[in-house]
Formats: sequence, C-alpha cells, structure tokens
Amino acid sequence: MKASARVRRFPFWSWVWFFLGVLYFVMPLYALLDFSLRMERDVIGLKAYASAFADKEFLQTFGYSVFLAAMTIIVSIILIVPTAYWIRLRLPEARRIVEFITLLPFVIPAIILVFGLIRVYSSPISIPFTEFSLMAPLTNSRFGTNILMVGGYMVLGLPYMYRSIDTGMRTVDVRTLTEAAQSLGANWFTIIRRVILPNVRTALLSGAMLIFAIVVGEVILATYLGVSAFGPYLLLLGRARAFEPAALSFATFLLTWVAMGIIQLVTGGKGEATAGAH
Amino acid sequence: MAFLEINNINKNFGKAVAVKDFNLQVEKGEFVSLLGPSGCGKTTTLRMVAGFETPTDGTVLVNGEDITNKPPNQRDVGMVFQAYALFPNMTVAGNIAFGLEIVRKPAEERRKRVSEMLELIHMSDYGDRYPYQLSGGQQQRVALARALALSPSMLLLDEPLSALDAKIRVSLRAEIRAIQRKLGITAIYVTHDQEEALSISDRIVVMYEGRIEQVGTPFEIYNFPQTAFVANFVGTLNTATAEVIDPTTHLLQIDGVQLQADEGLEGKHKGDQVTIAIRPERFNFLSQERKANVLDCKIENITFLGSVVRIQVAVGNNRFYMDTFNNPYLALPKIGDNDQVTCSSEAVLVLRS
Repeated sequence: MKASARVRRFPFWSWVWFFLGVLYFVMPLYALLDFSLRMERDVIGLKAYASAFADKEFLQTFGYSVFLAAMTIIVSIILIVPTAYWIRLRLPEARRIVEFITLLPFVIPAIILVFGLIRVYSSPISIPFTEFSLMAPLTNSRFGTNILMVGGYMVLGLPYMYRSIDTGMRTVDVRTLTEAAQSLGANWFTIIRRVILPNVRTALLSGAMLIFAIVVGEVILATYLGVSAFGPYLLLLGRARAFEPAALSFATFLLTWVAMGIIQLVTGGKGEATAGAH
Repeated sequence: MAFLEINNINKNFGKAVAVKDFNLQVEKGEFVSLLGPSGCGKTTTLRMVAGFETPTDGTVLVNGEDITNKPPNQRDVGMVFQAYALFPNMTVAGNIAFGLEIVRKPAEERRKRVSEMLELIHMSDYGDRYPYQLSGGQQQRVALARALALSPSMLLLDEPLSALDAKIRVSLRAEIRAIQRKLGITAIYVTHDQEEALSISDRIVVMYEGRIEQVGTPFEIYNFPQTAFVANFVGTLNTATAEVIDPTTHLLQIDGVQLQADEGLEGKHKGDQVTIAIRPERFNFLSQERKANVLDCKIENITFLGSVVRIQVAVGNNRFYMDTFNNPYLALPKIGDNDQVTCSSEAVLVLRS
C-alpha cells in the first residue's frame, strides 16, 4: 500500500525544479526571439530576418563556415573513429592518456591555439640546420589557411567528438563484433565501415552536431587567421546593428535543433546498443 | 593425419601461463569439447585455433596446412560467441548474409543460402527481424546459422549457451549437436558445464591450469577419471587417501578397513599412499554376506535430489556420498543409524598422482 501510494503521489517538488530548469533555458531564448521580432516599432514581424538573410555577406560567411564545419566533421571522423576503436580493441591501457589529451582544449584557450598555429605555420618549415624547406607557410594561401582552420576546429571539437564516439562504442561489444566479423572473412576496412560505424551512428551524429555548432559560432580562430567566417560576421554585425544579429542567432539555434531532430528521426528505432545483450 | 592438429601449444600472457604443452588431434566431423573451470585456458586454446590469439610456441594444422600465423579472416572457421555478437544494425537475414557478401557471392546465391540457413535453425519467418527483437536462444541460433552460412571447414563455439536459461540450454545443445551431425562439420566446443560436455561431445578434453588433464569419450571421462581433478570436476565423487597393502592383489586400506581395487597399483609398493575415488552411485547398502569392500558406516544425512536420494555416510574419518534411485517404496535408514555399505572392486578407482 505504501509503495502504491508513493507512486500515485504527485511529485510536486520534482515538477517545481523541472519548471525552474525549463525557465532558465527557455527564457533567454524567448527574449532573443521576442527581440528579433520587434525591429519595427509596435509591430511583431520578420523584418530583422528578411534584412539579415538579404545580406550577401551573410550567405557568403555562413556558407564558408558550413563548409569548414563539414570538413572538420569529416576529418574528425576519419581520425577519431579508428583511434577510439583501436584503443577499445587493442590499447585499453592508453584510454586514460588519450582521454586526458582530448580534454586539453578545455583548459588551453583558443587564443593560445591560434597564436601557436600562426607561430608555427606562418614561416616555411625547414629541416633543422639545413636550407631545405619542407613546406611553404600555410598562412600565405587560402588553401593553407583552410587547413589550419580545420585543424584548429578539430582540436576545439576533439573533447566532444571523442567522447561521443567513445561512449557510442561503449554501448556495443566492439571486441566481440570485430571478432565475429573477422571470423566471417571481413578485413579491417569492412569491419569499420559495415559493423562499427553503423553501430555508433547516433554518437557520431551527436559529435558532428556539436562540432557544427562550435564551428559556426567560432570567432577567435577565424578572426586571428583573417578569414570571413560566420562567427566574426555575427560579431561585427552586432556592433553595427541590433536586431539582425538576434535574428541570425535565433535562426542558427533553430537550425541546429532542427538538424538534431532530423538525426533523432533518421537514427531512431534501429536497435543500436543491443549487441551482446542477453 | 588428423583433420585438426594442435601440436605442443604454449601461450603466455606476460609472465602468466595460459596454456601449457597442449596437444590434440581432432578427426574430421568430430565434436570435441574443451571442459574446465574458469581460467583453465580452454577459451585461449579455442581463440588460438580461431586466430584471435597467436601461440607463444607450437603449431596449429588444419588438413596438414600450418595456420598458426594466418589471420582469423583467412582461416575458414565459423565461430559462435557467448555474447551472440550479432550485428545490431543488420536484420537476421543481413547477419547470415554478411560472410557471403564478403566473399562476393551473387545476390541470388546469397538469398538461397540465407533461406537454407533460416530453415536449418527453424526460423524461416524471422529473416526481417533485428537482433533486439529476438530472444537469447533465437539470437544464438542466428549466430550459429551465420557461422555456418559460409560452409566453414570447422565450427568453433565459445560457451554459446552460458547466457541462456536452463531449459533453452538443454534444447539448444541438442539442436547444435543435431545440426553438427547433419552437416558433418568438425566442431570444437568450449564449456565449463560438465553435463553439457558429457551430453554433446564425441570426446572431451578436460583442462586445468592450462594443461590437459585427460582426453576421452564422455563414458571414459565419467567412469574412469585418471586424476583427482577430473574425478572431482566431472560429476560427484568420493575421494579418500588409502594405504597400499598388497600391490599385486590390488589391496588397499582406509581407516583400518580393507578395500579391493581392480587395477591402478602398478608400480606402487606396500605402504605407499594413493588417492582412491568411488562414484556415489556405486555404493549399496550391504544386503547379503560379503567379505570384501564392506565398510562400517554411520548415516549422517539424507538429501532428496528428485530422481536420486543422496545419503551421506561417515566411514572412519572419511565422509562418503551414496546415491540411490528414488521410488515411493524406498526403505531409507534413519540419520544416526549404524549400517554397512559396499561396492564392487572395479568401482574403486586409483587416481594418478
């Protein structure tokens, strides 16, 4: 009787805390949306959005940031998936060290990273004590700068991507699935492509979303490497105008959530994390 | 030449010895179980045959070909794991077809083979389901079909029934054995369950601390254990230390009572200490006059085990179990009674020290 009474009782305080939490997160968003809709005095409208989207520079910078985000995501997956997989499979003792390394971007500010990149890659890289140059300065060309940007973003996104993938791999019995695939004749490439990647897809997409959000809003790397990305554009816009940056911020936020919703829809219901379940 | 030859295999993990001086020959179509407690090296041995571990020393030959250093994806062996290891992102049919796709079988041939395999495991209607939609027993049957789809030369099973409940275990082990017989495939089966090994195998390899203790048919392993470990691990056994009275007539003595054995005292001398073993079901209460192997005892406990009644008796300082078939008219002694039990001379096994 006591147990059933406990179940039926309205969890008043739980709902209070939940409501307060929702308020904490939703109120600023609501304020942002409300502000972005009031460009015209006493009228609720989408003028700020129309004005922001009409700006050519918006499309240019946003498109460029999306491109950088996509490249960062691809390179991160290529680098981190095999690394996390190999650590789970063959080098579990290295996991702590790698986890520590992936956390470094949290304690080393982006400003240090960007100055480090500029310091190293703004002059030719030569073999020590010789005149022989291995690589031209990367900062001198658009292509080279893009490489630096993607490299820098990869470092900034490392904690999120590595942890997402590692958590995804924890939910499947990577070792046994690998051995099962091997015993059926599969090579390493096939195992990663057909067995591991599909089973960490949700984790991969979560990591990708986080990287996307970081890259699209990032300011420091883009500013100091002198590229016209969306982050610096939004910052400059904020100095000159009031309503358009709010509209763009809300639109970007909405875009991120819509993308996450699509991910949930696309990846839901395919029985991930059931490998090895008894 | 045997189909599978494991020659002088040793496997060390750092300083720890996992498998030591392992030798085994398996004939084509034979069902051999590796039986032993956890950590005895049975799974490591199986994994060396599968190619997931490389032996420190020794060779593994299949059909005369040395496969010791061959990668697991080139060994032509099917493997079934304890944790099923079905690919969660693929349907049952997709799982079974996986190996066939790897070797690039045409789509029509794949479909036909998948259908054959589903029929073999009596799951023809389950091709479109995902692993999470199946019970443990069904998942393991799919894993078996997947392992067999490529018609491998050998089937390796690593404790495939350990994660299942008792009833499913019994039915699935019979199914595994029936499929193995039907296909005539050589199978190596790892288990720690002696009943499973006894019921399913052509031969059993009993392992302990990385070594082979005894190899034999289930009948030999159960009835003629050669070491104290095998005797204790397989079934319930009474063991006691006895003194050799006359090695030529196989006469022994425990706590002043003489016991006659049939064999096993070759090379022993009068006064030597040996370990003897007697199965509980080989004891009877004395019903007629007998001179040899009559032990005065005191009834200490009586336990009902369903079809069997187990009686614990004290013989001197030794405690022995005696099993008798249960029936409603069984006249049982009372706890505390003094009685006499007996056994035939061939029931007294002298174990190898």
